[in-house]
Amino acid sequence: MERVEHTAKIVTARQLGLVACQRCQQVWPQEVDRCTRCGHRLVGRDRKSLQRVWAFWVIGLMCYVPANLYPMLQTRTFFYTQRDTIIGGAIELVHYGSYAVAAIILFASVAIPIGKFLAIAFLAVSVQRPSSVSKGQRQMLFEVVEYIGRWSMIDIFVVAILSSLVQLNVVVAIYPGPASLFFALSVIFTMLSAQAFDSRMIWDADDA
Amino acid sequence: MTDVPPVSIDADERPAFRNMSIVWVIPLAALVIALAVAWQSYNDRGPLISIEFSNGAGITARETDLRFRDVRVGVVEELQFSEGLQSVIARVRVEKEVAPFIDSAATFWVVQPELTAQGVSGLDTVLSGVFIEGSWDGEIGPPRDSFRGFATPPLYRPGEEGLQIALRSIPGGSLTDNTPILYRGIEVGRVGTARISERGNFAIAEAIIYDPHGRLITPSTRFWDTSGFSVSIGPAGAQVDFSSLASLVGGGITFDTFVSGGAPVGDGSVFEVFASDTDARNSVFNASEVEILEMRVIFDENISGLSLGAPVELSGLRIGSVENLSGIVDEDTYGDNRVRLSVVLGIQPARLGLSGDVTPEAALAFLGERVRNGLRARLASGNLLTGGLKVELVEVEDSPPAEIDVASGPVPEMPSTASEISDAAATVEGVFTRINSLPIEDLLISAISFLESAQSLLTSDDLRAAPQDLRALLGDIRGVVTSDSVTEIPVTLNTALTRLDMILAQIEQEQAVARILAAIDTATTAADTLGSSVEGLPRLVDQLGGVAEKAAALPLEELTAQITQILNSADDVLGAPAMQDLPLSLAGAFNALEATLSELRAGGAVANVNATLQSSRDAADAVALSTRDLPALVDRITEVFDQASATIAGYNKGEVVSRDAQAALRDISQAADAITALARLLERNPSALIRGR
Repeated sequence: MERVEHTAKIVTARQLGLVACQRCQQVWPQEVDRCTRCGHRLVGRDRKSLQRVWAFWVIGLMCYVPANLYPMLQTRTFFYTQRDTIIGGAIELVHYGSYAVAAIILFASVAIPIGKFLAIAFLAVSVQRPSSVSKGQRQMLFEVVEYIGRWSMIDIFVVAILSSLVQLNVVVAIYPGPASLFFALSVIFTMLSAQAFDSRMIWDADDA
Repeated sequence: MTDVPPVSIDADERPAFRNMSIVWVIPLAALVIALAVAWQSYNDRGPLISIEFSNGAGITARETDLRFRDVRVGVVEELQFSEGLQSVIARVRVEKEVAPFIDSAATFWVVQPELTAQGVSGLDTVLSGVFIEGSWDGEIGPPRDSFRGFATPPLYRPGEEGLQIALRSIPGGSLTDNTPILYRGIEVGRVGTARISERGNFAIAEAIIYDPHGRLITPSTRFWDTSGFSVSIGPAGAQVDFSSLASLVGGGITFDTFVSGGAPVGDGSVFEVFASDTDARNSVFNASEVEILEMRVIFDENISGLSLGAPVELSGLRIGSVENLSGIVDEDTYGDNRVRLSVVLGIQPARLGLSGDVTPEAALAFLGERVRNGLRARLASGNLLTGGLKVELVEVEDSPPAEIDVASGPVPEMPSTASEISDAAATVEGVFTRINSLPIEDLLISAISFLESAQSLLTSDDLRAAPQDLRALLGDIRGVVTSDSVTEIPVTLNTALTRLDMILAQIEQEQAVARILAAIDTATTAADTLGSSVEGLPRLVDQLGGVAEKAAALPLEELTAQITQILNSADDVLGAPAMQDLPLSLAGAFNALEATLSELRAGGAVANVNATLQSSRDAADAVALSTRDLPALVDRITEVFDQASATIAGYNKGEVVSRDAQAALRDISQAADAITALARLLERNPSALIRGR
């Protein structure tokens, strides 16, 4: 009956012999292998969840390298064509004195993606070995990563809007550079990676 | 709720690969794709070539394209300075497909917007920025990765077919570069960038005639400048001519072939550009198809009168003209800083009449050979009236050996010789001065007086009578010679000679020679004595010298004056009236001679001669007696001569004596000659003995 003592603190569905449907959140006994409400397959713990996390993480990271090396925007004005990478563009903005805009770009395009990579990697590692960070904080970190992930696409959004709007033929035209594609891929794969992470594993760690 | 079997998370005993999620395929695929793309892009990357430009000219790294036929085939990756900041080097990454074609025949230039009279070019680069245009042919040659770029497009682009020729301005003419070559108003070619020849006397430019118009060019084709316009006023009124507005502004060159039937020329021919079509037409028959041979001549004299275009003549034939004149100061070569005249001669090899190849080289070899034989250049009078000079190539005998100096400069130098300039004015003046100083009046007076005297002499009656007397005299002489007595003389003489022969034979037998030998002994003794006594001769010579000095000191001038006086007196004598009586006296003398001859014929002179011969025969007999021992006599005489020679050799110390002795010997010899002559005379003409002559 020691488990009961613990329930006052945190009681997991698993400890109660239940399993939740990951689609419709209906809780079923563990013997049930398919959710009778939505027909989704019931899995107590996804054994391959971490593998998927790491696989998508690696792809995201791979895409992030060319996203920073290739130009993000090609600005063709009357006399010349300017190609800017993400960091190069930010540095140029600093030269022009637009520190605020440069800071926003650096934050949205560099700090957040890198932070996401680090956060996902930390979460994935922490479920397999003891961590000093408490389970509640880790759950919080996961939720932030999932929430903020979609906003990383704002860069792509800006590029898409600019290249569709600024098409004045000869005078000035903006085209998306190859980096925009890789950046989008990178964002997509980090989101997939975050989604592939089974957050229930954060709570399993104590059982070990 | 309680008997829930524990669910193990890590309770799998399945092999590791069965545990692997299928999702790992995605990063693996991404990795493979990335590697493949990286490998392919690396593999597709062409080589890096460097093109050197004198300036950047708007080239930007990673932006400026390299284009071939206006298609992008590369991009400038890097722009940097060469060592020492001498030039700009653009490193261009070229595409792999075209890289092998970029061989040593490739040329590169920067395309920039250009606004000329012919139109606007490179307008697209206003918006896109400059690009580097490359040109190469379609054949793969030896690879090369370093090139020199040009600021302007080259005239010859590899792969562009056309006849490549060169155009040269005529001396004093002009040549506009980068102009079109028009034919019947159509642009069929282009003149490239003109450059000045090595010595700056003409401009030369490469030109291209695009295919298929190259066949229009034959050796008889003449080019002329159509730039600008011409105004002419004639019977048809005033005319303004210009071919096109473009050529009016930017210049143009056209050509025509005035003589049909020439074979098309090949690449590399050189043509002259004339100022107008009239000049070009006139030049058709002046052979100047071969490049002229230029030679430099340095003249020591600085003589005005030599001008550009002055003729250059070889043996009187004009073979070229003076192309350039300048002064030269070369202290190193000539040792002083005097200004010398440096003349550049343009020699037409065709005018030399060489057999075989008519090239400047052949002409130079020909002239070099002639120079070795003494050919020199000199200045000579070309025009007596204007004082204009020309350059003559003449062979100077005994000239110091020289060669054409090919090494010292771009133009071979020909040796020169002293000029032959007849200064007409000075010569004429000298002639007149001499004529002026002639004593013409005295001469005429003398001549008049002489003619008068001669006239009076010739008109005298006595002179006219002289020929008749002379004829009579000759008749008499003929009479004497043909007389019987004279014809008998040879017979008598013959017998006399026979007798003489006998007498000489007798002499040999007799002893009379012994006496002569004794006499010669005496002479020898006398010679010995002479030998001892001539020691005093030097003193005698001194005295002679004194005499000679005195003779030298004689008042010769006075003597001359006296002689002159005598001559004057003789002149007076000739002019005296007594001379006019001379013919009369002559006639008298002839008469006397005639009388004498008559007497001779009448007085039996021949009989006397016969008697004389008889006497001489007797005398010869006597001589014969005394000449028997002649050989011994000859020996003795030889001995005497030997002694005399020895004696004379002893006097060789005093040359004067020796000379005197030699003179004495000469006298003896002369005497001997005289005797011989006498003997011969006698032999030829025995009657001389009789006549005493």
